[in-house]
Amino acid sequence: MRTPRPTVFAAVACLALLGSCERRGGCTGDHCGTLVIASAGEPDILLPPVSEFAATRDVTEPIFLKLADLGPSGNTVGDEDFQPQLAERWEWDAPTTLVFHLDPRAHWQDGQAVTAADVAFTYQVYTDTLVNSPFRSSLRQISAVTTRDSLTVVFRFRQRYPEMFYDAVYHMRIMPAHLLREVPRDQWRSTAFGRAPVGDGPYRFVAWKAGQSIELAADSTFFLGRPYIRRLIWRFTPDQQVAVTQLLAGDADAIEVLITPDNVQRACADPKLACYPYKGAQYGYVGFNLAVPGDTTKPHPLFGDRDLRRALVLATDRERPLHNVFGELARVPPGPMSQLWWIWDPEIRELPYDSAQAARLLKRLGWIDSDGDGIRDKDGHELSFRLLVPTTSAIRRQYARLLQESFRTAGVDVQLDEVDFSVFNERARAGRFDALLNVWNTDPTPSSGFPQTWTKAGFGRSNYGRYFSPQVDQLVDRAVSAAATRDQARRAWRSAFETLNQDAPGIFLFATENVAAVNKRFTDVRIRPDSWLALVRSWRVPSDRLTDRDRVER
Amino acid sequence: MIVWVVRRVAASIAIVWAVVTLTFFAIHAAPGSPFMPENSENIDPQTIQRIRQKFGLDQPLPLQYLFYIRNVTQGEFSESFALHRPVADALAEAIPHTFLLALAALLIDFTVGLALGIYQAMRERTAGDIVLGNVALFVNSMPTFWLGLVLLLVFAQRLSAFPVGGIADPVFCPRINSAACVLDFVWHLTLPALTLGLVGAAGTARFQRAAMLEVIRQEYVRTARAKGLRERRVWLVHALRNALLPFITLVGLAFPFLLTGAVLVETVFAWPGMGQLAVRAILERDYPVVTGAALVTSTMVVLGNLIADVLYAVADPRIRVRGAGA
Repeated sequence: MRTPRPTVFAAVACLALLGSCERRGGCTGDHCGTLVIASAGEPDILLPPVSEFAATRDVTEPIFLKLADLGPSGNTVGDEDFQPQLAERWEWDAPTTLVFHLDPRAHWQDGQAVTAADVAFTYQVYTDTLVNSPFRSSLRQISAVTTRDSLTVVFRFRQRYPEMFYDAVYHMRIMPAHLLREVPRDQWRSTAFGRAPVGDGPYRFVAWKAGQSIELAADSTFFLGRPYIRRLIWRFTPDQQVAVTQLLAGDADAIEVLITPDNVQRACADPKLACYPYKGAQYGYVGFNLAVPGDTTKPHPLFGDRDLRRALVLATDRERPLHNVFGELARVPPGPMSQLWWIWDPEIRELPYDSAQAARLLKRLGWIDSDGDGIRDKDGHELSFRLLVPTTSAIRRQYARLLQESFRTAGVDVQLDEVDFSVFNERARAGRFDALLNVWNTDPTPSSGFPQTWTKAGFGRSNYGRYFSPQVDQLVDRAVSAAATRDQARRAWRSAFETLNQDAPGIFLFATENVAAVNKRFTDVRIRPDSWLALVRSWRVPSDRLTDRDRVER
Repeated sequence: MIVWVVRRVAASIAIVWAVVTLTFFAIHAAPGSPFMPENSENIDPQTIQRIRQKFGLDQPLPLQYLFYIRNVTQGEFSESFALHRPVADALAEAIPHTFLLALAALLIDFTVGLALGIYQAMRERTAGDIVLGNVALFVNSMPTFWLGLVLLLVFAQRLSAFPVGGIADPVFCPRINSAACVLDFVWHLTLPALTLGLVGAAGTARFQRAAMLEVIRQEYVRTARAKGLRERRVWLVHALRNALLPFITLVGLAFPFLLTGAVLVETVFAWPGMGQLAVRAILERDYPVVTGAALVTSTMVVLGNLIADVLYAVADPRIRVRGAGA
């Protein structure tokens, strides 16, 4: 047998050491960094009006600008905390008329100027039923968007309300009319532009290798300032654990969220990584179906009873499973809310954990263990229900088992229906469940999502359990539409949550706290909780920390 | 021979059609529905209804099936619900990745498997044979995803000798010359191919050992020995040649194993192939991609078996004769 020549070994060895080889030359200075992001999700299309995947948001955030964006406070009421992007300034012509003046320096990456016509076109696209934008309902209070001149655009609202400005700027990323006007509206979801977009942001699209990676390059002529990191590269994996392993192995530089306490411990203990905690946008809960499964006209035999729901909430120790599953990475929410919301307030009144009171209430309702089998019963029926859980979520499966055991000690039998996510969603929407373990990803404000999930307006949409309280609906309406100031809105929201908590339409289990991990060679890392890469333009790699990955040319 | 081949091709087409038909009805009958973004509060039922109409999902299922078959015969695979692009494009990108992975695994499987099998047969009932036999049994019993995770943990995370996943370094590969990029690809391919190939090699070794031992007891081998040929020549020329005949069947059988194994290995190693595409499509109820993947996979398996059958018939004329008479 011939022995392979040493040069072959040398070539393979050099390749194997590619990441650590110290090579001379290449990029030097303050604008050289390459950020490789490990991501467990891949965008479906790079066209913001037709996709609401978090992965799409992350990649399109640096490509397409908004008129203005949320400031560091995260305040969504009024306009004082927003920061200019495409619009250099704005003013209110009338209580329901908002005028934006575009920055004349703004341009598309093909050289064309960004104009007011682009903004008007974008509004038409987002609200067109043929485009089917998931954000269409968030723009329902805007009656028209018109142009006054090439750099002035006018928004008219149907009524005055606290988050008018937020609605005008947060949901829409401005699209280039000159490149997209000819695309038939019903074909936006498959247009070629969505796989090779041209934007106006600090980064321009370079390449998308399906199932592998997306690369963006810094636009050195960006009108708001040249980004420090010159390349953003997303590496896609089908599995979160593989993404974390890539980070730990040095194949990637950053990850949005580590999810489990074990991952956080490993990443934060790694000397090359820095951890960045930030408020999470998710909350999870057990939602009771207040109607008979599959028949919305009749009350559920168990959960139609408000006192029984209250007893189950009183019987649930929410702290213990939370610490078992999340460690310090979540908090028990004071109602159906994420930590991201500005109304988050641990002082909001809710039902406490009180097993003795729960037992007394159940006994008063006639639920006693008459046959000594450990499960309460009444009129020959056991106190038993089925809990719908998606198999795709390890966290929810773990929670379901802990809750099952916890309920058993209270004399309640819980059977788990574990189904894949698609089935979970279908059954949830059709109301074919007793109770479900659900998670919502929320916007930065409750105004858009909450009415769809916990008021009558959400029937047939995201209010799966069909909870309805006229008092809550009225309070929410006041908070969303009628409050004149932030404090008034806060008080209305607080009353709404406290009323809802007393009705116990669900057991609100966790509101997540996220932890991102980023390689320590990156400095000035700031994370905005609603969109973790929103401020990536200001991240940098000091010139003395550059690696081959940062320096490599072309 | 031609009649036999034509008959086999016709049977293969029928099998592919049956697989595609079964897959089509099975995935549509499965509970769950497409177009449901995860954990989104902004689900608009009217939007979903409009998308269903656009893709013809509001039509009766038999009608959808007829449209589907018509489109497939015209070479159209429709558009993916989840990827927002033609299914043919998604498949065309994924197939070469899976094919190369399967090919590399096949190479490892047969090279290592054959070598081990021959070595064991030549040293029947010695300590080497027994130890290797048990090691092969151990490896053969391992689930592929578990072996993949172990290799990943040891060689990628702990030793940093190989990348954790993907098919190329997204930073360096586009910026270095193509020869180095090919080596980078091979570097990324090593662990997934070893995972798939080693499990298969363990089975191949056991199969080859048995085949060699069966042949070595034949009279023509005894004759060869009586003629005074060297033992090595008797084994490697006279015995091995005939012991390789059933091995052709093994090639045909290995293909389905590699394709099903690839589903798990591609997930563990973030390898963007057919398996990963199909799993995602099944979870998202992306019907066009699921049926498209089934069509391609069944065609590859049937084709692999067809080639194995033809090779077998070429190598052993008795098969042709029996086939023609049947």
